[in-house]
Amino acid sequence: MNEAERRDLTSEGRDRRVRELSERVAEIEQRLIPTGLHVFGRATSDGECADLLRMVASFDRPDAGSRALPRLISEGLGASVSHPRTGASGEDQLRTRERVEAILREAISIFLREGETAACSWLESEANVGREASRPTFALLGEVRSRLRTNGELDSLVAALRGRYVEPGPGADIVQNPKVLPTGRNTHAVNPYGVPSDLAFARARHVVELLLERHVRERGALPRAMALVLWGLDNIKTQGEGVAQALWLLGVRPLRDSLNRVADVEPIPLGELGRPRIDVVMTVSGIFRDLFSPTVELLDRAVRRVAALDEPEEMNFVRGNVAAQAESGSCAFDEAATRVFSNAPGNYGANVNFMVADSVWEQDDALADLFVTRKCFAYGTDARGRRVEGREARAAMRRALSRVEATYQNIDSFEIGITDVDHYFEYLGGVSKAVEKSAEARPAIYLSDTLSREAKVRSLAETVRLETRAKTLNPKWYEGMLRHGYRGVAEIESRVTNTFGWSATADAVDGWVYTEVAETFVLDDVMLARLRALNPHSARALVGRLLEAAGRGFWQAEADVIERLREIFSELEDRIEGVA
Amino acid sequence: MPEALGLKVTVFYVGSSLLAPLRAAEREITRAYKVELKVAAYNFGAPLDEDEWASVERDLADSSVVFVLHVTDGANAARLVPLLERCASRTGATVVINCMPDLMRRTRMGRLRFGGRRDDPNALGGEGGSERDEQGASRARRIVSRVGGWMAAQARGREGARKNHAQYLRYVERLPALLRLVPGAGRVGDFKHYLQLFCYFLQPTPANVRAMLLYALKHYAHDERLARARVAPPETMPAVAIYHPDAPALFDSFEKYRKWHGARARKSKLAPLDPVSTVGLLLMRPQIVSRTTKHYDGLIRAVEQEGLAVLPAISTFMDNREACEKFFVDGARQSRVSQIVSLTGFSFVGGPAMNDSEAAVQFLKGLNVPYRSVVSLDVQSVEAWRESWTGLNPVQAGMQVAIPEIDGATEPFVFGGMSRQESEPLPLGDRCRRIARRLKRWQRLQTAPRADVKLALVLFCFPPDKGNVGTAAELDVFASVWEMLRRLEAEGYDVEVPQDADELRERLLRDEEGYGAAARVEYRMGADEYRALCPHVAEIEKDWGRAPGGINSFGGDLLIQGLRLGKVFVGVQPTFGYEGDPMKMLMARGGAPHHGFAAFYSFVEKVFGADAVVHVGTHGALEFMPGKQLGMSDECWSDRLIGELPHLYAYSVNNPSEGSIARRRSYAELISYLTPPVEDAGVYRDLAGLKELLLAYRQTADDAERARLFDSIEARAAALHFD
Repeated sequence: MNEAERRDLTSEGRDRRVRELSERVAEIEQRLIPTGLHVFGRATSDGECADLLRMVASFDRPDAGSRALPRLISEGLGASVSHPRTGASGEDQLRTRERVEAILREAISIFLREGETAACSWLESEANVGREASRPTFALLGEVRSRLRTNGELDSLVAALRGRYVEPGPGADIVQNPKVLPTGRNTHAVNPYGVPSDLAFARARHVVELLLERHVRERGALPRAMALVLWGLDNIKTQGEGVAQALWLLGVRPLRDSLNRVADVEPIPLGELGRPRIDVVMTVSGIFRDLFSPTVELLDRAVRRVAALDEPEEMNFVRGNVAAQAESGSCAFDEAATRVFSNAPGNYGANVNFMVADSVWEQDDALADLFVTRKCFAYGTDARGRRVEGREARAAMRRALSRVEATYQNIDSFEIGITDVDHYFEYLGGVSKAVEKSAEARPAIYLSDTLSREAKVRSLAETVRLETRAKTLNPKWYEGMLRHGYRGVAEIESRVTNTFGWSATADAVDGWVYTEVAETFVLDDVMLARLRALNPHSARALVGRLLEAAGRGFWQAEADVIERLREIFSELEDRIEGVA
Repeated sequence: MPEALGLKVTVFYVGSSLLAPLRAAEREITRAYKVELKVAAYNFGAPLDEDEWASVERDLADSSVVFVLHVTDGANAARLVPLLERCASRTGATVVINCMPDLMRRTRMGRLRFGGRRDDPNALGGEGGSERDEQGASRARRIVSRVGGWMAAQARGREGARKNHAQYLRYVERLPALLRLVPGAGRVGDFKHYLQLFCYFLQPTPANVRAMLLYALKHYAHDERLARARVAPPETMPAVAIYHPDAPALFDSFEKYRKWHGARARKSKLAPLDPVSTVGLLLMRPQIVSRTTKHYDGLIRAVEQEGLAVLPAISTFMDNREACEKFFVDGARQSRVSQIVSLTGFSFVGGPAMNDSEAAVQFLKGLNVPYRSVVSLDVQSVEAWRESWTGLNPVQAGMQVAIPEIDGATEPFVFGGMSRQESEPLPLGDRCRRIARRLKRWQRLQTAPRADVKLALVLFCFPPDKGNVGTAAELDVFASVWEMLRRLEAEGYDVEVPQDADELRERLLRDEEGYGAAARVEYRMGADEYRALCPHVAEIEKDWGRAPGGINSFGGDLLIQGLRLGKVFVGVQPTFGYEGDPMKMLMARGGAPHHGFAAFYSFVEKVFGADAVVHVGTHGALEFMPGKQLGMSDECWSDRLIGELPHLYAYSVNNPSEGSIARRRSYAELISYLTPPVEDAGVYRDLAGLKELLLAYRQTADDAERARLFDSIEARAAALHFD
């Protein structure tokens, strides 16, 4: 906000701005972040699990018969408010949220200090939450806590080495599914015929609404086509929310057969859907392709069914795009309706991450081409009902991508964020770059955050900022990592490289991010000395990456900063040479 | 003499046990009754394509009798229903048994119709009782209605199906006797015929399958040549039993099998039925009953070949606990087997339609022996599997791999299946051998003195750089490996434990000889030695040039990175090798691991002689090597590289997807590890300052003060790059 804008603000305008900033600070503040690395077999102390438990307590869990504590608390407070609320203002709402948060925090700390009964009683007196209502939640927390206090991973390992049965267990974030505890089990996937579950389909509707609203806000109209990245990871943990989102965009619902398996789809009537059907290009990971092969066929069928519907093209973008594609590419309907793409059979990965990490690309086109080369294999069923097992369909993919206006990936985890691993920029970044080339326009790029208390859709740039502020630049995060010495430095370097990946593929990183990274880790002598002592190789790689960001124009750094980085880089080189 | 006219029976079935008896019946009936019987058989295990559907329509058009047996696939059923409807008037009888309700209602036998409300199991009993019905008829209806209710529940995958299974079996046993009381004419007669066919279907021995066709043709084909055919009553087989290809008959108790096995073992010097060296196998009853067991026999012999004994039990389809309880557990509740391999391809409890994994895990925990589930190619041909880079088709992948995994099953090998030209499944020799040898290696882990066991703990290093040794999601790998070493020492394994994790790391990273490798070099493998140890060098050379190539090599040798600590080797897995090589990265398909990668696993298995491999942390490259997606063959690289080594994998609990690839493609048993502690990000530095200012603003009523604070807020927000 510039000087003039600030002067012109009314006092209401200022209040609004303050509330908005408060909420943005709270969003960062309350984001769960890892504060170190796990050591195999090591148990978690009470002190380490308070925030986790608070998050576990923040969701309704019908299977455990427990309700979200924040909801119980707000209901309790609402009932006890003595004076009638005269049109709760934004400030009141914010205050109520903060109050709920404070009560929740205290309740968890009482629970940890004095136990379940004390916490239930306190909540009753403080927030008017009936003991019976909160008891199941605390019972669940008690279970989670006791399972975190002991750790059987080493026991399992030595039992398995002696050829004993290793119990299976689900895989997910603890917050998402506390049943992942105890660890030390043989993690399994899910039955692909159960996907998407009814719950996943119901939840996906809301996220898709948010997504489309957001796009309309950004670009003024619904996207005629979107490119979705589908992974096994979130679809296993959520029983197919990502899949369900694709179905909602197309405007179809899953049908189950008499064995309760998802076996087909049916179009949701346009009247009921209340908006046009969005065309969806799905780039699925090799892992999704393997774990969800019936789902791949289902998604392919869904597109073909929708493309064949007798509906006006302005209400059925799929039909319109397929017809146009058939015409421009002078190909059959079958080819033009190809929307599910993955790797060649038996192959994995878009490799965009390798190309970025190794700095071996010169033009942007190289990343886009690599993505299409690796991912242009069509899966599904052909017009004769025969399975298509990875037919190379480069032209069809290019044509489909050329109509895409927005790209999107569902994220359901804060344990695995978009700069924690290189696969997010490999896929979402890769497909966005491929769209940019095919469509000759940069798509809007979105990510959802479905494992928050309230599902959100953010732009890629917003998500990068949030991850940067909550993790990369946060002493709580990097000091936690540095407690692990050598590995910690590698973690910091890897995060910077993954952030850089978003510059390379989507130009979604603000320059200040690199400035702050440089100041925090390299230009601070004390910090630099620590990194150098713990892991000079990763320290060198980090400095090299910053120089590359500047060299490639992702970061307009001051000349003296670059000069200093160069000096540090060569000092590190010398040191490593000397060591070697 | 009249010309022999053709008769056609079309059969829709699922699985690999019926085709051989159907073909035999076709031959025998043709010969015995001088009819030219043609049996058109369609395996409905996977969706048919358009060409197949065209052929279905042709066959339905001139069939005397149509059987639809045990079809539960939604896509096929949805297409079949209208076709059956269309041909109903021409066909003598349409017999639908054990299918989903939509299909059940298409049964047409004389005056018999199954109808009524979809969810009422008793609706299967017919069109309601009229007062004129005779006593026998109402009795028949009661039986039909009970059996039918069970069938309907089963077709829908309802809970009741399992609960009532035992009761249902009792009815079925009594059914043939009761049916004699039922008159054979009118609608009641049609009931009776249906039940008679049902009894044959339940015990699909070759004789019963022949009788089932003959019985249906006799009563519904209206062909004089068959009108006087004598159809034998159903023969019965025990529900649970022990099978062995060399035995003259099934065994109904462990004692009888033990006696027979003992005599045989002494004579042919086979392993005795000692619990520590006995593998329990679970077999599908229909295969045994229909005598289509060559694939079972192949695996049984391969296991015996390795010096292990087998205890092959016929499972009861819906619930394997019964067979396990009866044969695998002794009077003192001790296990008689040290490993279990299920050849059924279904969940342990619940059969094809559902899975009660909680009950399964409870039971298997009690036995505490590894549980494997291996796959027979029943709904895709062996040729299709061999040719395909996909491997298992979606139906088999879902039913026979994903669901058994939820029970804790590991090592999803393909062991046999239907060839295009065959009418019964055959074993895949090399796969059976590999399964058997892996069982043998696991048995060594179970029984060898721990001090004799050699272990390889394998770390990753990605991207390849000295700073990245020990890459793993969310895991402090050196501290973790050090904890593992300590524990192994305490358990009695022969391991030298460094003083602490730092010492371990320093020793592993020390490049003493100056090879320029990321980690210490434990072994230099000469190119000749590599060629002798790795049977795939020629194939690798097509992709990567002449061995040793440029990755992980030095002066003509391949470098194996790692550190030996007693009988434990802590190694560093090479990376894919094409990082940094845009041309290689662009390869869309196929390929091979590079020489250094292959040499690493050759070293682990053959030079170091590991008894097991433990990969530490999420994740490495082995399981992503080119090959089939699922149901690996000997051409798949992950299968070749892991070979016969038992494989454990410490894997992050929040990554079930990539972990599943490791389990399926490299036979890993995952040991999940916890994600790190998490906390609220909180606020820090300028962000903390901003938060304070925002609070102060909100708590102040004074306008001037608010204006002043607002300026500070904006300044701070700008410094923090908030827009």
